[in-house]
Amino acid sequence: MSDKGLHTKGLTVRYGGLVANDSVTIDVDPGTVVGLIGPNGAGKTTFVDAVTGFTASAGEILLDGTRIDALPPHERRTAGLSRTWQSGELFGNLSVAENLLVAARAGGWRTLVRDIFVPRRKVSDDVVSRALEVVGLADVADTLARDLTLGQQKLVGVARALAGGAEVLLLDEPAAGLDSMESRAFAARVRSIADSGPGILLIDHDMSLVLGVCDVVTVLEFGKQIFTGTPAEARTDPTVVAAYLGAPVEASHA
Amino acid sequence: MGTFLQFVVLGLGLGSIYIGLGTGLLLVHRATGIINFAQGAMAMWGAYVFAQLRVDGTLVFPIGSIEFARRPPIEVAALIGILTAFVLGLVVHYLVFRPVRHAPVLAQVVVSVAVMITIQALVVLRFGPNNIDVASILPEGSISVLGTDLPTREIIMAAIMVVLAAAVWAYLRFTRAGVATRAASENERAAVLMGFSPDRLAAVAQVVAVVLGTISVMLGSSLTGLNPDNYTLLVVPALAVLLVARMESIAVVVVAALLLGAFQSVIGLLVTKSWWPVWAQSGLDQVIPFAVVMVILFVQGKRLPSRGSLQTIRLPDVSIPKLKPVPAVILLVLGVAALSFTQGTWRFGVTTSIIVMLLALSYVVLTGYLGQISLAQGAFAGAAGFALSKMTSAWGVPFPLSLILSALVATALGMLVALPAFRIRGAQLAIITIAAALAIERFVFNNYTLSPPEGNPIADATLFGLNLGVREGRDLARISFSVMVLVIAAILVWVFIRVASGDTGRTFLAVRANERAAASSGIDVRKTKLIGFAISAFIAGIAGCLIGFSRGQLSAESFTVFAGLQVLAVAYLGGITSVGGAIVAGVLGPLGIVYTLLRGVFDLGEYYALISGLGLIITAILNPVGIAGATREQVAWVRRRLSRSGPPPSTVPDAPAPKEPSRV
Amino acid sequence: MPETPEPLLETVDLAAGYNGVPAIRGLSMSVGPGEVVALLGPNGAGKTTSLLAMVGLVPLLGGEVRVLGAPLGRRRPHQVARSGVLLVPDDRGIFYGLTVREHLRLAARRADPERERQVLDRFPVLRNLDSRRAGLMSGGEQQMLAIAKALLAGPKVLIIDEMSLGLAPKIVQEMLPAIRDLAKEDGIGLVLVEQHIELALSIADRGVILNHGRVVLTGAAGDLLRDRHLVEAAYFGAEQFADTEGTLAG
Ligand SMILES: Nc1ncnc2c1ncn2[C@@H]1O[C@H](COP(=O)(O)OP(=O)(O)OP(=O)(O)O)[C@@H](O)[C@H]1O
Ligand SMILES: Nc1ncnc2c1ncn2[C@@H]1O[C@H](COP(=O)(O)OP(=O)(O)OP(=O)(O)O)[C@@H](O)[C@H]1O
Ligand SMILES: [Mg+2]
Ligand SMILES: [Mg+2]
Repeated sequence: MSDKGLHTKGLTVRYGGLVANDSVTIDVDPGTVVGLIGPNGAGKTTFVDAVTGFTASAGEILLDGTRIDALPPHERRTAGLSRTWQSGELFGNLSVAENLLVAARAGGWRTLVRDIFVPRRKVSDDVVSRALEVVGLADVADTLARDLTLGQQKLVGVARALAGGAEVLLLDEPAAGLDSMESRAFAARVRSIADSGPGILLIDHDMSLVLGVCDVVTVLEFGKQIFTGTPAEARTDPTVVAAYLGAPVEASHA
Repeated sequence: MGTFLQFVVLGLGLGSIYIGLGTGLLLVHRATGIINFAQGAMAMWGAYVFAQLRVDGTLVFPIGSIEFARRPPIEVAALIGILTAFVLGLVVHYLVFRPVRHAPVLAQVVVSVAVMITIQALVVLRFGPNNIDVASILPEGSISVLGTDLPTREIIMAAIMVVLAAAVWAYLRFTRAGVATRAASENERAAVLMGFSPDRLAAVAQVVAVVLGTISVMLGSSLTGLNPDNYTLLVVPALAVLLVARMESIAVVVVAALLLGAFQSVIGLLVTKSWWPVWAQSGLDQVIPFAVVMVILFVQGKRLPSRGSLQTIRLPDVSIPKLKPVPAVILLVLGVAALSFTQGTWRFGVTTSIIVMLLALSYVVLTGYLGQISLAQGAFAGAAGFALSKMTSAWGVPFPLSLILSALVATALGMLVALPAFRIRGAQLAIITIAAALAIERFVFNNYTLSPPEGNPIADATLFGLNLGVREGRDLARISFSVMVLVIAAILVWVFIRVASGDTGRTFLAVRANERAAASSGIDVRKTKLIGFAISAFIAGIAGCLIGFSRGQLSAESFTVFAGLQVLAVAYLGGITSVGGAIVAGVLGPLGIVYTLLRGVFDLGEYYALISGLGLIITAILNPVGIAGATREQVAWVRRRLSRSGPPPSTVPDAPAPKEPSRV
Repeated sequence: MPETPEPLLETVDLAAGYNGVPAIRGLSMSVGPGEVVALLGPNGAGKTTSLLAMVGLVPLLGGEVRVLGAPLGRRRPHQVARSGVLLVPDDRGIFYGLTVREHLRLAARRADPERERQVLDRFPVLRNLDSRRAGLMSGGEQQMLAIAKALLAGPKVLIIDEMSLGLAPKIVQEMLPAIRDLAKEDGIGLVLVEQHIELALSIADRGVILNHGRVVLTGAAGDLLRDRHLVEAAYFGAEQFADTEGTLAG
């Protein structure tokens, strides 16, 4: 295990009396894909919210060896921790390209002065087109985000998370709503993103995707980690089957 | 102690009105998501009808009236008053609010402002501008508690209103229709899919709200008499009460309403004491509740909206502006032409339009781009204006510097108002800012120790020996002054376009669309809001200074909350998301070109307020996304039609999605 | 179809879309009491549009929708819902501001504890979430609420878009047969849109596969399950079917 990447130690989240994450310890090393699965309400989204600063948590969160748990969300993003949302959460009234530009160029007082006196021409648009190519959506760059179908919205979310450059990607059900063909193509994309450097945490209920593409899988139930191991082990592990899979999963499905 | 208790109980009368208005506001907001600024005005009409029946037996309609031979008995008069309220609720719902039910919520809020203006104007026309006495439905009497005589009327009043509010609470809480009312405003499509008609639910809410408000005003106004201004603006404290209740809890509305009434009554007692400082005699009854509400909300608020919180305000789309030299030059030439071919009141009208355009532009920045509804723009302008007066008259600061420094004073105030916006959002922010504006108006602008009643003179501007003053002899609007206004406006518009089309503008739009997503994309949401408020307040401040220069002096009447609301309304209707919209707003705005035209060509005299109110309503119904937006859509439609050669594309049409309301 | 009685919901040569441009064309399908129809197809095929058209939320551009034997005509969406045709939309159609309890109260016109118990037995998780605001719940919990709410309303026809969206595999495996049983028992006509082709077909009576806005394949679910290559072909290239609608012998 290297210092690089995302590491949590004993991450705990409470909502009132409910312990939504109970001392979760996860390592996302560069270039690897880690799967996070578990029943509905197990605390997967909560984990992503906690790591990215959208909900209060106890425990340690380290990015490339530095503690980031005290930083506000936007600074965690600029530090290289990037996420997507289960419910899409695109900027619906902006075009797809602008959605990505938002992530690529932050504002501020200095930006304001520059905007007034030396406005930037549309230079770094290749940031946008590169990110869109990665998810295979180059042709919808000028469409309003809200006019996309559900599946496309999820993919744009992934592109937006990539756009500013990221060390670690946290993807919350990016493939929900994709048909099986698209889902297979998406698996290949996830793999190639990871191969190009970043570590990826992947949450999804599509088992052919998760078990097919991940290097390591962690299973949460009621906020606790009940299993960590390879996908092959997960397929047949009795606790995982009982809690989540229902029936053992063969190597390929649907 | 005895007097104190007496004043507390006397305050329950006012508190009862707050219960009536506050509960009605809550109900309407729950059902439709609208903050109905017309709640006070609508409640007032039925009470006026009731009062007039008792004064001279005349039943007054908006048009025409019936005179009864004898004054009807009080019960009958009260019943007629309530019936009027019922009909008014229905009429306003079906003729005004229903047609805009799919428009962005802000459009509906603007419509409510227009209804408020209309009804207030109508009251002045039909019942006169002066206070009229109102017969008391309840018997007068007193009971003795701990040796103090307490009036029973106020106590009974409060009891009646508490019971009525409890009935509304039970409706929302226990009936299926009540629960559906809450559901429908959040996700209309989902409610429809469950078999509810959101429209019918909204109509019921609207009618109940008006009737409730009318009853409270009928009861309460017997203490003070009726007066068109006061009862219209009573909506502001009622809104503050609504905020304390987080727009949800009727129980809190009731308690907060009674406390506020009692508090204001006691303050009224205290300021008459000799030990009370003179500078704090005016406006405290507004300032303190405002401060309390703000602290409560700020403490409860979150840095970022929590999961599953509703996207608060839906706004029209933005098309990002480009700096095009040709249209810019044409506009400038048009402006210069308009100024040089007019004179006197006409040129003054054109000049005022340019200034109002700037005020509207400040709304475009803050509301159109950043999605923050601030009703304190008038106060920003006012602050700059008063600063200008001090700088030019008292300290002799020379011209361009005085303008910029004064605008910076407004900027500072704007950044101060941005602080609550860190944690308070949407409709709640709108209410907080209007309360702030009212507090500033009463406490600062209306405070004779800070702002002398004879006015705040502003010295004419001169630049390199060139006189830029507005008047000389009988010339009401000198060309050099008007050109100066045009030049300043052009610079600001140019700056705006650069900001709006740059990275900053995009950041604004992202925050407007979704704060959580913006933060997760690396945007510092707070800093972005601070920047937006600063820019907007600076522009408003410049506009305030220009108003000051154009009048030569300023008084409290120059920047009333009411005028601020009117500018918001025209800014929205012009088009809250574009420069074009701001220009339209300037043309239509108070004292602008259209106003001058109406005044000069047709002698509308006393009907002006009524016509402008009705005009706003009709414009809003015809252009729910603003005139500039509608025009843009039409142009785009025509272009599509022209460019469409051959068969239409079979998939993915490029037109925007249907305007079905939904969350996101 | 054999022994199908009078259909509850029927579309005849339906065309519908946005801004006057059809996204689906020539859709003819029906669902009878106790029957389960799986509406399948790749992303953007027009599944959601078809469902919206059936309840009147998207304007018809041609053809007809018949509900309980009578044409949809100018009935408004809430009236369609009242006549017993319920759609669970793909955004779930729940209210973030209301609690689970309030949703259940809204759903049932008259409180019916017995039925409520039956439905909640299928979604035991919801029992523990009684007073939680829907906006705070996890994605899967919201989906369960959406379906439970619709079942509780006592529909004659139940249409569910993206039925298993965000649900854990175990829940889907348990829920699909449960819903089918409920439909059979109560004689509900069920239309499902699903991305899990096999799971959907395993509980459905019939499958209808859309691509590029047209029906490219229909057939008994069992047959479609057996002839997977035909289904795959329908997903891939619609063109070969676009003109002559492929139909499997029953
Ligand atoms: N703010 C909150 N207050 C109370 N409970 C909450 C809050 N946020 C989430 N929860 C609860 O915490 C639990 C964990 O939710 P979370 O969204 O993390 O689940 P998840 O594993 O992502 O599930 P899914 O697969 O369905 O998306 C759920 O039971 C949810 O209802
Ligand atoms: N609001 C809209 N405005 C314009 N076009 C739309 C709109 N909604 C969908 N479309 C288009 O209509 C076509 C059919 O979309 P539909 O949503 O019915 O597909 P779907 O089969 O449900 O896809 P998915 O599996 O991705 O949900 C698509 O090409 C889509 O782009
Ligand atoms: Mg989740
Ligand atoms: Mg769909």
